[in-house]
Amino acid sequence: MKPKMFFVIAVAMSLTFWTVTVLAGEKVAEVKLGSVMSLSGGAANQGTQTKTGAIIAADEINAKGGIPALGGAKIKLIFGDSQSKPDVGASETERIIQRENVPIMFGAYQSAVTTVTTEVAERYKTPWLVTGSVADIITQRGFKYTFRPNNKAVYDANEQLQAIKTLTQETGKGPKSIGILVEGSDWGKSHAANLRKLAKEMGYELVFDEAYSPGTMDFSAQILKIKSRKPEAMVMAMYTPDHIVFTKQMYEGRLDIPFGIHSVGAGSEDPNFYKAVPVQAIEYMFVQEDFQIDITELVDWTKPVDKKFAEMLGYPLTSYGAQGYSAMYTIYDVLQRAGSLDKEKIREAFVKTNITSGPALIMGWQKIAFDKDGQNVDAHGVISQNFKGKRTTIWPVANRPKGIKPVWPIPAWKDR
Amino acid sequence: MATQPNDRNRVLTATAAAIFLVAIPLGVTDEYYLHVFVATLYFAYMASAWNIVCGYTGQLSLGHSALSGIGGYVSTLLLINAGLSPWIGMIVGAIGAAAVGVLVGWPCFRLRGPYFALTTIAFAEILRIWTENTEEIFGIELRGAQGLSVPLKGHAPLLFQFDGKLPYYFIILAMLTAVMAITWWMERSRTGFYLKAIRADQDAAEALGVNSTRYLLSAMAISSFLTALGGSFYAQYFRYINPERNMGLDFSIELALMGIVGGQGTVLGPVLGAFLLTPAGELTRATLGGKFPGLHIVIYGLVLILGMLFLPKGLIQPLRRLLGRKATASRSEETAA
Amino acid sequence: MDPIILGIAVVNGVILGGLYGAIAIGLSLIFGVMRVINFAHGSFLMIGLFIPYWLWQLFGINPYVSVLAAAPALFALGYAIQAVLIAPLYRRERAMVVEPVSALMLTAGAGLIMDNVTFMAFGPDFRGITLDFASKALWIGDVLNINYTRLAAFLVSLALTALLSLFLVRTDLGRAIRSTAQNRDAAALCGINVMRIYNVTFGLGCAVLGVVGCLMIPFYPVSPSIGLAFGVRSFITVVLGGIGSIPGCILGGLVLGIVESVAAQFVTATSASIFSFMIFILVLFFRPTGLLGMKV
Repeated sequence: MKPKMFFVIAVAMSLTFWTVTVLAGEKVAEVKLGSVMSLSGGAANQGTQTKTGAIIAADEINAKGGIPALGGAKIKLIFGDSQSKPDVGASETERIIQRENVPIMFGAYQSAVTTVTTEVAERYKTPWLVTGSVADIITQRGFKYTFRPNNKAVYDANEQLQAIKTLTQETGKGPKSIGILVEGSDWGKSHAANLRKLAKEMGYELVFDEAYSPGTMDFSAQILKIKSRKPEAMVMAMYTPDHIVFTKQMYEGRLDIPFGIHSVGAGSEDPNFYKAVPVQAIEYMFVQEDFQIDITELVDWTKPVDKKFAEMLGYPLTSYGAQGYSAMYTIYDVLQRAGSLDKEKIREAFVKTNITSGPALIMGWQKIAFDKDGQNVDAHGVISQNFKGKRTTIWPVANRPKGIKPVWPIPAWKDR
Repeated sequence: MATQPNDRNRVLTATAAAIFLVAIPLGVTDEYYLHVFVATLYFAYMASAWNIVCGYTGQLSLGHSALSGIGGYVSTLLLINAGLSPWIGMIVGAIGAAAVGVLVGWPCFRLRGPYFALTTIAFAEILRIWTENTEEIFGIELRGAQGLSVPLKGHAPLLFQFDGKLPYYFIILAMLTAVMAITWWMERSRTGFYLKAIRADQDAAEALGVNSTRYLLSAMAISSFLTALGGSFYAQYFRYINPERNMGLDFSIELALMGIVGGQGTVLGPVLGAFLLTPAGELTRATLGGKFPGLHIVIYGLVLILGMLFLPKGLIQPLRRLLGRKATASRSEETAA
Repeated sequence: MDPIILGIAVVNGVILGGLYGAIAIGLSLIFGVMRVINFAHGSFLMIGLFIPYWLWQLFGINPYVSVLAAAPALFALGYAIQAVLIAPLYRRERAMVVEPVSALMLTAGAGLIMDNVTFMAFGPDFRGITLDFASKALWIGDVLNINYTRLAAFLVSLALTALLSLFLVRTDLGRAIRSTAQNRDAAALCGINVMRIYNVTFGLGCAVLGVVGCLMIPFYPVSPSIGLAFGVRSFITVVLGGIGSIPGCILGGLVLGIVESVAAQFVTATSASIFSFMIFILVLFFRPTGLLGMKV
């Protein structure tokens, strides 16, 4: 094809494409909710899970007749892909707010993206419900339109240490030294920073404190060092592939940590992690996540959600799926009280939120309410311990199922 | 040796384009479209700055994102720690980036072809990894991988922050015009003349007494300076920078892509590349991104492949023929490359 | 620094380094013969990891057996991409010298497509496999343990390198490839079908990744996004070892593996990767032919 023809055709196609998109009209009589999620790129996994959870909830709400206070209007979800990049997330936020005129937005899992998108939403006075992002700064900027139902990063670190303290008090035995191994980008490093501070305050000695390059293929160096420094408890912040490799090597190397490995989610929340490591390797490992993982066995109404999720993605309900689900029902509650699509009324409804029961609490929280910074101070994570491949909740004690006794201290490999 | 009618053609087109670009934002009220325009102009600017080195020296730099990162970080750090207006901070950052560019370029230009490209990747990655791992240096907080948030001052023109998108649009438009003017001037200057000779055959040029290092480094310095200014603009527009996005390989590849698909070594080429690829990227992501994640990148890849196979000299090739420009200069450029 | 720990670090570095070398062989071959930097190298490896994964997941086939499927499949894919996408570039240029930028961008585009079609097909999840013997390790004394699958990967990588070198020296096809690398015009004059050699070389370079993928999947999980990082690491390995030298690749890989492993003992692993890049740069400046490479 002659280059000139190609050029002309390319221009013509682009123009047609452009025109068609602009002319494609809007539908009416429904509530459009906008979301920016990492649907491709490095964080696509979690973004897709959150999206799935939200879809399940929206379908449920619509099946029951939509939102009564808005005349039975059905929810229509509009997803934009942040590609795991902050500026793309900002672009998508602009686009969805401007073109789709949504009254509420939610997302975006990655803290770097959410930090930027909430600022865009703030400028457009559009309420934004955060899902999954833990960076402290998100609710520390004095924004009026940002609301976060989940943990801040510093809560995660605090909870891990609180759990250790609780178990120590219950049994009279506990670690005096702690080791930290985190992935080297913003999540891992900020978790380590929070831990360092709190651990010092609580009197633990830090004998190992390192970050590793994401995508590391070999942890033998770190495992060697850990063996020589002998921390009595290990805290880890790892993404899925690293967690898989580390766990396998730790198991092969028979690394003994007397008071266990405490993983703060991400990799250890990913069902793919559990499929890829031998069951014995993760025995007695503690996992802190935003979600009470065994809720689907203890609380009946969560079972159909779990089933639907498994149908759509092929594995049981995850923390991110639950967050998407919870976000939808929180928004439902807000819209019910606002009774309008006016953003200011919606914002006021958000401020007055006080959810103490219902599907929005699928995460295992006892309450959703927002302080003056938009943070849900009643948010908390849940820590589980792995028994034969299943995670069972052991902290907070209020969430611990009856008759469950955590294993503490952890038996050495040769004693198992 | 452009002929009379061609000259007039070009002046007419240029004026029409200028009027269009200045008038368009005044007529558009949709903030999203404005945002797309700003993003497009931003990439056009960055690709043009990249082009000053890569289009005219024939060396492929895949590390330019580092320079933009330096600009963004320096101006933001000066704002946070010294209250210095980014208008001044960006100049400081740009000078720093130019220095880095020359320091790095000096040994690198000895390498040819793909080695040069790989080395630029290595340098950029070193800077990125170092920044990601450094929480603070000499008491100044870098926050490593978490990145820096630009303090929000609302509408503060003196601090390079504006409430709407229009001011940003005109600023980046001005910057783009400047970089195109610089490129145009450079093409016709002695430096440009020597660069073309070096690009055609470095050994032959040196045999004729051309001090290639000096000219290559000049181009590198100018390019680095301008790229860093763009980095500061990014920081002020998005109000957030981090090492992964602003010093990462992805961004460098995007710039190179636009420059090459548009046509490197020309004034208009990178602009064309950006004008095509940025809105196309936005459009495909907007229509397909939410429903078929990943598809828009597949299309991107296809465009790249088709471009390389059918329009290796870039979009500028058929455009020139369309505008009837048959200058001998362009023909000799084609054989020389 | 405890000498035992240092020693163990070196051993682990060697084990991993051999694998890095094998991963980079294809890149070195392709660049040595065709002067094309295959930016999609990592993406081919990613596919080379997915094939044994799915064969295991769906049919329970042991990854070491999957080599019989993965290697030919990747050969075919590489051959096809070279023949369909890159060959036109050569045909267009009269002297069969491809402007490096075009080929690089072309393979980059191919890589983007491969990564994202895989992403659209399989989703973003990381997939790993668990084999019974994969968790067992060879214990030396009380402290040093080498995982069997990693050891196997190391040994097979060495064997593969040796085989490939033999192939290039002893067989007709191998000699044809080497002569094309040295001087394509002379090779053409000798009656060698240069385009066919290019296709075969590209296919061969990718086939190696099929083998390597099967070796890696027992201990390393795969997802559509891992390509770029491996590609970059392969560049470093190839330059270290010397373009066009197959044994050089292993040597480069070993150096890289040891440097990473030892450096991680002194600094945190994230900063250790800076060392790899720095060595890369130093080699390029002071010894551009690499450790064992031929003159470029």
